[in-house]
Amino acid sequence: MTLDESVRVQIDQLVQSSEVVLFMKGNRGSPQCGFSATVVGILDSILSDYQTVDVLASPEIRDGIKIYSSWPTIPQLYVKGELVGGCDIVQEMLGSGELYTTFGLEPVEIVQPKITISASALEALRQAATQQGGSDSEFHLSVDATFQSHLSIAPRTKSDVEAITPDLVLLLDPISASRADGITINVADTPNGQAFKVENPNAPQVEQMSVRDLKSALDAGETLELLDVRTPEERAIASIQSANLLNEEEAARIEALPRDTKLVLHCHHGGRSQQAAEQFVSLGFTRVYNVVGGIDAWSQEVDSDVPRY
Amino acid sequence: MALQIINAGPRPEETAGRIRAAIAGKFPDAAIEVLPQGPGHFEIKVTDTAFDGLTRVRQQQLVYGAIANLMAGTNPLVHAIDRLECLVP
Repeated sequence: MTLDESVRVQIDQLVQSSEVVLFMKGNRGSPQCGFSATVVGILDSILSDYQTVDVLASPEIRDGIKIYSSWPTIPQLYVKGELVGGCDIVQEMLGSGELYTTFGLEPVEIVQPKITISASALEALRQAATQQGGSDSEFHLSVDATFQSHLSIAPRTKSDVEAITPDLVLLLDPISASRADGITINVADTPNGQAFKVENPNAPQVEQMSVRDLKSALDAGETLELLDVRTPEERAIASIQSANLLNEEEAARIEALPRDTKLVLHCHHGGRSQQAAEQFVSLGFTRVYNVVGGIDAWSQEVDSDVPRY
Repeated sequence: MALQIINAGPRPEETAGRIRAAIAGKFPDAAIEVLPQGPGHFEIKVTDTAFDGLTRVRQQQLVYGAIANLMAGTNPLVHAIDRLECLVP
């Protein structure tokens, strides 16, 4: 149960490498365990910048951090060199608002979201409750980082927030609550029978950007990732200088970036890039832009040296 | 050659006893409850004045520190603590 001195020094350096350091399984873009994913989701909703250490990449760190911290599980969150805790403690601190003060931020007041439930959805929920619910179980709605909603029946926890609904008690965790104001829940027919349909007005959308606005943003040196979703063959004919080809390697690099990174996508006319942009929104990116008219508009309105094809 | 039963493992109550003893070694005056939950899984509740004024992470670190040797290695006696409650009497 002793920690090798070289490993201790290595962990010391990692802990000090940033104000907020999360030891986790996997990385920020693709967590490899549910507890790590939960903590990443919480941190992403509060902080734009923090460091993660993938313990799966190093057996020494994976075993060593447990001894170093006197803490037997992963993930482990360090703030200013101090262990804050694992998944359950971070969740509890989020509910109490303590997590914000730990990061030196003003606590965000938790607002009860207003949620509309249609009569048929209400009826269906009540039926589900009589079939599945225990006496201490209540309805939960969660809204994940990609704004997908999930309904479940589970016991109430301390940090749960009650939605404002006229006829039913509906609980949300504090992060879901911050994403849920204005949601409507309906019942819709699907090929597999009836299902709940949740519409969320807060879900981020792909925004449209003109080629002129793109030019000004580039000239101003704005920090953004400009991505070309066309084929290498089209790119050989015409390309915008600072755009990177979105191949697999580039996609993996982008997916590991903070979710508030500004992504600007273009193709030939704006159709393929719109689809690709929607993909990035579904991965949780919150500032995703599609270049209207694509490189063809760029050739006509910004830079006639770029050939049209 | 003697027959060896692989994965039979010690009885959960026995391991619970070792957890209790390890915690009592660090907290002689504590009230300690250890409940086996499944193979290698336990719930622990420790009540001691020593926790007074400590944050939750510090309280739990003290308990985890006491049982660290039971949780170490590739195939430890104790795989996971499903629930750890530290209370001040």
